[in-house]
Amino acid sequence: MADVSLRGVSKAFGDTQALDDLTLTIKDGEFIVLLGPTGAGKTTTLRLVAGLERPDSGSIVIDGRDVTKIAPAARDVAFVFQQYSLYPHLTVFENLAFPLRSPARKLSKDEIDRRVADVARLVRIDHKLDNKSTRLSGGEMQRVAIGRALVRKPSIYLMDEPLSSLDAKLRGDLRLELKRIQAELGSTMLYVTHDQIEAMTMADRIGILAEGRLVQIGTPREIYTEPANLHVAARLGQPAINLLPADLLPETSAPAGTKTIGARTEHLTIAKAANGHSDGTIDWVEHLGDQNHLHVTIGGRKLVTLTDPDTPFAKGDRVTIRLKTPLYFDGAGNRIVG
Amino acid sequence: MRGAETPETMQDPSGKPVVTDTTSTILDRAAEAAVRATPDSLATRVRGLSDKTVAWIFIAPTILLLLAINIFPLIWAIQLSFTNYRANRPNEAVKNIGLSNYSRILNDADTWAAMQATAHFVLWTILLQTLIGFTLAYLIDRKFRGHAFWTTIILVPMMLSPAVVGNFWRFLYEPQIGLFAYVISFVTGIPPTEILMLSSVKLAPWAIIIVDTWMWTPYVMLICLAGLRSIPDYIYEAAEVDRASNWRQFWSITLPMALPFIMLAVLFRGIENFKMFDMVNLLTGGGPGSTTEVASITLKREAFEKWRTGFSSAFAIILFVAVFGLANIYVKVLNRVKSR
Repeated sequence: MADVSLRGVSKAFGDTQALDDLTLTIKDGEFIVLLGPTGAGKTTTLRLVAGLERPDSGSIVIDGRDVTKIAPAARDVAFVFQQYSLYPHLTVFENLAFPLRSPARKLSKDEIDRRVADVARLVRIDHKLDNKSTRLSGGEMQRVAIGRALVRKPSIYLMDEPLSSLDAKLRGDLRLELKRIQAELGSTMLYVTHDQIEAMTMADRIGILAEGRLVQIGTPREIYTEPANLHVAARLGQPAINLLPADLLPETSAPAGTKTIGARTEHLTIAKAANGHSDGTIDWVEHLGDQNHLHVTIGGRKLVTLTDPDTPFAKGDRVTIRLKTPLYFDGAGNRIVG
Repeated sequence: MRGAETPETMQDPSGKPVVTDTTSTILDRAAEAAVRATPDSLATRVRGLSDKTVAWIFIAPTILLLLAINIFPLIWAIQLSFTNYRANRPNEAVKNIGLSNYSRILNDADTWAAMQATAHFVLWTILLQTLIGFTLAYLIDRKFRGHAFWTTIILVPMMLSPAVVGNFWRFLYEPQIGLFAYVISFVTGIPPTEILMLSSVKLAPWAIIIVDTWMWTPYVMLICLAGLRSIPDYIYEAAEVDRASNWRQFWSITLPMALPFIMLAVLFRGIENFKMFDMVNLLTGGGPGSTTEVASITLKREAFEKWRTGFSSAFAIILFVAVFGLANIYVKVLNRVKSR
């Protein structure tokens, strides 16, 4: 395990600038999640660290050693691909042992057996060691793929949306398992996803990528409560943050220069209209079972917020809406620190 | 055609047991599929006929054609193989002579020599074509600049007619004016008049092997290339991150994953070369002596030069059973490799 840093790394594919001057340091034992939409440069970042791509400029340093021009095999990283990149004609055991069989390692047979058994237990696949890797379910395949990364003790684990092709329940289970394993091993991890729940629950720090740039990096709490700009604010929160023009609601405490107000559920107080005054109308109540989504129309704008399962609101109700310490953004989309 | 009553169970790659189709189940299923695909309105229009009957009417022409040009001649040949029938003496009485055609063939040194010539030809062409074809495919798969252009160039021989290939290789092999003899003599210093590719007992079998390899290696390359292209890049990337050397990647990823394709190419070439006739007939006609007389040449001589129709029918049946049996065993092995 070691510190890994990218220093001013840029990478273009033809006319597309995949990464633009990215600087990022991952501390020893840290779990960093890169979050961003498709095409933001998340996968490119991983592939650059792994050495599967070469940067156009900038450098990559692993454990104090500049590895920018070094081949993947010499970098001591482990990679979990989005697809189940198992060796199809090998058994689960052989797949897990594959990285250990590298002649560069010179491990004894007992040592290999022991480490494979340990990792198989860790990813809970030890009952299927003799199965062909093609005879596994999707979740099992991805557990083997993760296990094949864990069986080594590399400087850093690189994971490219390892859970995205799994169904929701399995994704939830493996998310917990991965976090548990990472905490148990104290491993350094760079994890890429477009799933905000994965990012929020697993990361020590989240890096938000957009169009090849690192927009903001910080703890999940910081990213959620103090987003640097509209883009970051819009990436987190379910339902998505409501972005309203500053003059839509009577808001007295808005700092000068505010163009947009970002309001999440916790920033909104909604009450049934009394004494004739109202701000908006309940448009729709979405019943999700454990919670309800409240769709409200105010002055031609739509607003979505969460409400209790036993909500008193019904379609057509007129309501008053108050904001409490929402997020303020200026004309350029950057957050104004109040 | 496997045993028609007993569909055997195999494993396909996804692990589900699949029942291999027998001829009758294929036909039944085709009929059912046709029934499903037939719009209700049509089914109502041809009243009086059941859906299944209508479906059978649709596939009947194909089946009749198959029966007429494949199954019927085969059955007739089997019947003739037990007789002393001669096609050039149609009025002579045909006598049933039982298995004596078969026993004569299996005890005949000439037919065994033909079998041996065929085996020699098949083994060497498969070996050379697979080795060279796979190597070419591996190199083309490196995706260097202009690889598409070179693929096309390499494929040219395969697209020519065997008759054309046979004729111009005869010129190339010509000791006096041929380019092949000239180049060999230029490199080795042996006088070109001594390089008698087609008329020397030692060289003639190799002359045919060279031409067949020249012509059909591209075909093997194409199938191998399809196999190599089907291996996803990320498997190699995973192996690279896992510190597998190029050598190890080749042996533990490339070869095992391309193996079913290589085996398929071997099967196609094997069946094809077992019945090789046109090129050998054009190049050497079986000579000198009978050194290049492969089974199909012997067969043609017996059938259409000596007019021993019954005898040659028996020989054809023996060849058919041999190829069919070998191919079936091979397909079983291939399926096992595929389902690993």
